[in-house]
Amino acid sequence: MTGSRRFRGVARPGGLRGRLAGPWRVAVADGSMRPAIEPGDWLLVDPTTARWPRRGSVVVFREPGSDVLAIKRVAARPGDWIRFADGRLQMSGDEAWLLSDASDAALEVAGFGPAVDSRRYGPVPVAALVGRAWFRYWPGRSIGRLPRGPRSDVLAG
Amino acid sequence: MSPLTRLLAPKTVVRAHCDLPCGVYDPEQARIEAESVYRVIQRYAASEDPTFRTRAIAIKERQADLVKHHLDVLWHDYFKPEHLETVPNLHELFWSATKQVSTVKASTSLDDAKKLLDLIDEVDAAWKATGGPAKTRVAGRPG
Repeated sequence: MTGSRRFRGVARPGGLRGRLAGPWRVAVADGSMRPAIEPGDWLLVDPTTARWPRRGSVVVFREPGSDVLAIKRVAARPGDWIRFADGRLQMSGDEAWLLSDASDAALEVAGFGPAVDSRRYGPVPVAALVGRAWFRYWPGRSIGRLPRGPRSDVLAG
Repeated sequence: MSPLTRLLAPKTVVRAHCDLPCGVYDPEQARIEAESVYRVIQRYAASEDPTFRTRAIAIKERQADLVKHHLDVLWHDYFKPEHLETVPNLHELFWSATKQVSTVKASTSLDDAKKLLDLIDEVDAAWKATGGPAKTRVAGRPG
């Protein structure tokens, strides 16, 4: 009853015209999406995405609090339950749980600090969604569709 | 950047956001602890008091551990694989320097402590050669 199907109709404000303005192409900074996405990668973005895409998709959004354009993976969609702080947390109808691919341990080895994602700023509202990253067109050796990740913290049932 | 690359380059940057480590590194930290080791060996040699000599040994051990720690942080966190182009003997240098700390811990010879200071000066030169002062200190190295 709280499945994601129920929330398909929630649209991102701004209208199609606003969304067509882009961005269509983005360059990635920082390493929290390693190894799938490296700092310096150039990606194609579909800015017409109006709802949180499937779990495992990579999204571009405005980070709550800072408004900085950020990139993370959808770990839980609207309505999903996740494990959080010794308890459980349910996403409301218009928000998603966005996480980094890299573990904090892996980031430390690579010389970065801990990842900044939903574990820091909480669920992200659909109004902050800018688009879905779907294709890497640079560097040449790794051109191709971005694979949907296994990242999902959704609780079964 | 070629005209084609410039055409293809995105104008928008998105951050795969993570915190930055503090990024402040300076071999001077290791050098100061190593100078403490040097001085304490001098004072150890000049004293006849068994209590003082025992304390001096304990202090030398402690400061030598700090030298090792600061060298390790530089080696693991500041230096990156690309720095090997500028400093090809980087790993050998850190290997010798940290080994020399172990030698100094087991010794009361000023020559051993001096050799450690010299090796830290080589690390310092490597840090400078790779742009350390501008990259890792807030306003370069003071002084």
